[in-house]
Amino acid sequence: MNTSPDYRNFYYPPGGILIWIIILVELLTFGAALVGLAVVSREDPASYHRSRLLLHPFYGALNTVFLLTSGYFMAMSVHWAKQNRWKKSAKQIPWALLGGFLFVVLKSVEYYEKWVAGLTLGYDTFFNFYWLLTGFHVVHVLIGLGILAGMYAGIKRKGEAFQLTDLEAGAHFWHMVDLIWLLLFPMLYLIL
Amino acid sequence: MKMTHRKAIIGLYVLTLLSALASTYLYGIKGFTGIILGLSAVKFWLVSFQFMEMKLAHPFWKVIIGVYLIAFVGAVWLILS
Repeated sequence: MNTSPDYRNFYYPPGGILIWIIILVELLTFGAALVGLAVVSREDPASYHRSRLLLHPFYGALNTVFLLTSGYFMAMSVHWAKQNRWKKSAKQIPWALLGGFLFVVLKSVEYYEKWVAGLTLGYDTFFNFYWLLTGFHVVHVLIGLGILAGMYAGIKRKGEAFQLTDLEAGAHFWHMVDLIWLLLFPMLYLIL
Repeated sequence: MKMTHRKAIIGLYVLTLLSALASTYLYGIKGFTGIILGLSAVKFWLVSFQFMEMKLAHPFWKVIIGVYLIAFVGAVWLILS
């Protein structure tokens, strides 16, 4: 039977130490970029505010709901796997995939609108940050969707033989995408 | 009261709604940045400690997440306030 390691052990945080090193590096990178955005926005707050108003907070809020819901289903997938109920665990993953897919669709709509309106990379510093940060984040979402799809196929193929630690690590990558978005959303859509 | 994934997702929806309402009705008031950042920090904490189960981890990892969150929110709040 697949069992979790002792999470109280320093070397085995939930998801594994390697995924946590990746998560911390990613959070530091995005965090530094967002602090950089806050610093440069002080040079001309009014201009950054005008540019920020060109984004739709509703899109950002809806995308937050999509990612959080998707993260919930991945957390439930790990929950059921820990109880050795792998069929139930596998059933959660398509819902998590759907949440991520809806995020990408809505982001694409938003990108299209901005592109058509001429608010492209190079329009101003705010939109440079917007395209680079959200674009880099979307790349993570796409990689995460690939990981989730791979894990779903793996559980379907191997059943109980699928490694719980692999499922946890994949789920943690997906939650990392949530965490990054929870920093990007207020900074880009609400505060400036 | 024991925190479960279901309670966490309901809490996350409520916090997202509160962020949307705050950004609509409270923009420009003193402390607005702190309110939005605070709500985001609670969401971040819920995802990391409940969905990612960091509440079960070695204290080092809990402290690392806490320090990161305080440093990020504190830095942005100080710069923008």
